[in-house]
Amino acid sequence: MNAQYAGKINFIGGIITLITICAAVLWAFPIYWGIISSLKPEDEVVRPFIELWPDTLTFQHYWFALTQTQIGRWYVNSIGTAVGVTFLTVTTSMFAGYAISQLTFPFRRTLYWIILASFMVPTQVLIINHFVLIANLGLLNSWAGIILPQLIHPVIIIIYKQFFDQVPKDFREAAVMDNAGEFRILFKVYMPLNWGVTTAVSIVTFIWSWNAFLWPFLAVTKTELMTITVGITQVNDAFGVYYARQLSAAVLAGFPVALAYLLFQRKVTEAITLSAGIKG
Amino acid sequence: MTGISLKNVSKSYGAVKVIDNLSLEINDGELIVFLGPSGSGKSTLLRMIAGLETIDDGSLFIGGEQSHHLAPGQRNVAMVFQNYALYPHMTVRENMEFGLKNIKLSNDEINQRVLNAARILEMDALLDRRPSQLSGGQRQRVAIGRAIVKKPAAFLFDEPLSNLDAALRVRTRVELSQLHQTVKSTMIYVTHDQTEAMTLGERIVILNECRIEQIGTPMEIYTTPRTRFVAGFIGSPSMNIFPVELTKTKNKLEAKLPDGNKISIAHDTLASGEYDLGIRPEAVSITSEGADCQGIVRVVERLGDRTLVYVELTDRSQIIAQDLGTSTIVVGDRVHLAFDSRRIHLFNKNGINALLS
Repeated sequence: MNAQYAGKINFIGGIITLITICAAVLWAFPIYWGIISSLKPEDEVVRPFIELWPDTLTFQHYWFALTQTQIGRWYVNSIGTAVGVTFLTVTTSMFAGYAISQLTFPFRRTLYWIILASFMVPTQVLIINHFVLIANLGLLNSWAGIILPQLIHPVIIIIYKQFFDQVPKDFREAAVMDNAGEFRILFKVYMPLNWGVTTAVSIVTFIWSWNAFLWPFLAVTKTELMTITVGITQVNDAFGVYYARQLSAAVLAGFPVALAYLLFQRKVTEAITLSAGIKG
Repeated sequence: MTGISLKNVSKSYGAVKVIDNLSLEINDGELIVFLGPSGSGKSTLLRMIAGLETIDDGSLFIGGEQSHHLAPGQRNVAMVFQNYALYPHMTVRENMEFGLKNIKLSNDEINQRVLNAARILEMDALLDRRPSQLSGGQRQRVAIGRAIVKKPAAFLFDEPLSNLDAALRVRTRVELSQLHQTVKSTMIYVTHDQTEAMTLGERIVILNECRIEQIGTPMEIYTTPRTRFVAGFIGSPSMNIFPVELTKTKNKLEAKLPDGNKISIAHDTLASGEYDLGIRPEAVSITSEGADCQGIVRVVERLGDRTLVYVELTDRSQIIAQDLGTSTIVVGDRVHLAFDSRRIHLFNKNGINALLS
């Protein structure tokens, strides 16, 4: 009876595994297709049938992207703005989360509700306002112009608030009895208990910022100030679209994020779970 | 002068009053215990002294200095929390140093204080461990050590032994008592455990429903409870308390027990009327002659040095008597009970011990 039951479970498990593998293949195929296509000569890419492996393997498009475009500058711009966004977002969210969680001040609850409500406003709705504001500030075509509108991440404030809420009240009271000020309580008591969260949200914010396209695309018109996601749209010439060349640039653009994800996979998953839990 | 004085202090949470116009003087170097049931306000009172709760009304003086407006860290008191509140990411040494670094003492002074506290508490070998590597008792010591290094005017203990097992609790209780003799500081100790209160406290403050029921030494509280609440709260098993009718005949005061028997009351100044009579089990003895009442034994608890006998009287009310440890009484026996009239308490309708007023 038990063996029969175990066999049934194994069979169901096998089916589930098969479905999961199929889904993974389906999901990964466009990435595979993009990478393979970027390694084909242009005439092979435009052939009207599916070829899963190139007849001729070539790195000429990568060579072109690396030598004939400003991809180096775009990398620098992306790294600079993404690091800026990450640092400022995490820092401000940490302070805001701490204040809302631990401090008592007028309209604290109202402020929290406003932050919660801001979830309901998609970034795209605000993009014209952002553009006008940044233009009026004279910050278009600058790193500051790219960074500032990307600092609004209510979800990170709420993640921090939740984690600070979970720290036993006794720790704060013991620190208060020990003459510690708010900054010392935050950095010496609360943050060391939450470094895991900070690491996770930093990585995920970096990835969000690296992948951002719409706002950097609007905020920057000078090629040398473009981030990599915007810059790869420039990898064409007067004779039309070169798919393999564009795909090689896209692969180069996505490479650092993919690498970061592979290195910090567990932390990224943790951060996505945290933010999904809150958004859900 | 490092005593603590509370004058007419009150505290409310919204419409709920938790401390009502309370005044209390705590002497310099005294170990005083706040004892009361859950919700009596004892922890709130301690937190008001610590500064973790605001004082709505009244004044607080620590060492003669008005302190209720001061921040907790400026009151020169140290608190030991129920759950220890040791920072888990810091070593024992760092936990103890944290408060001293906040007040920017020199490294030499900090080191000396930490080593001194570690020596007093015999935990020199634990200084580089983290709290997670310590047992409950060791964590408790670290929490106390963290308080000692501050050299405070007063130590505040908020049910510090409640997370320890029974054996460790007894041992730590003794150590706390010895610590008090060593550091000779004012200590306020909050507990709901009357054994801790009786064994540790030089004086006990019994709190109930936002106010003080009685202040006194452990024996005063035990032998002369001022209210019916204190009488019932202190002592294990509880004091026998049952309604009686007091009648005065020919300058003689008699109390009619629930089963109809009458006993003489030594105090003839009381007015006739309805009272609650209280008598501790050890003042009710099992006798063969001169009995005040009789009943059937329903439960026998043999505690080794003594035997507690639960006797059902003829009206089905129950009274606990105490017999020798070698008692041969068994359930179902009919026994005669004699009351020690010197140890009888009578509580009026307001719950006040009428023999003391």
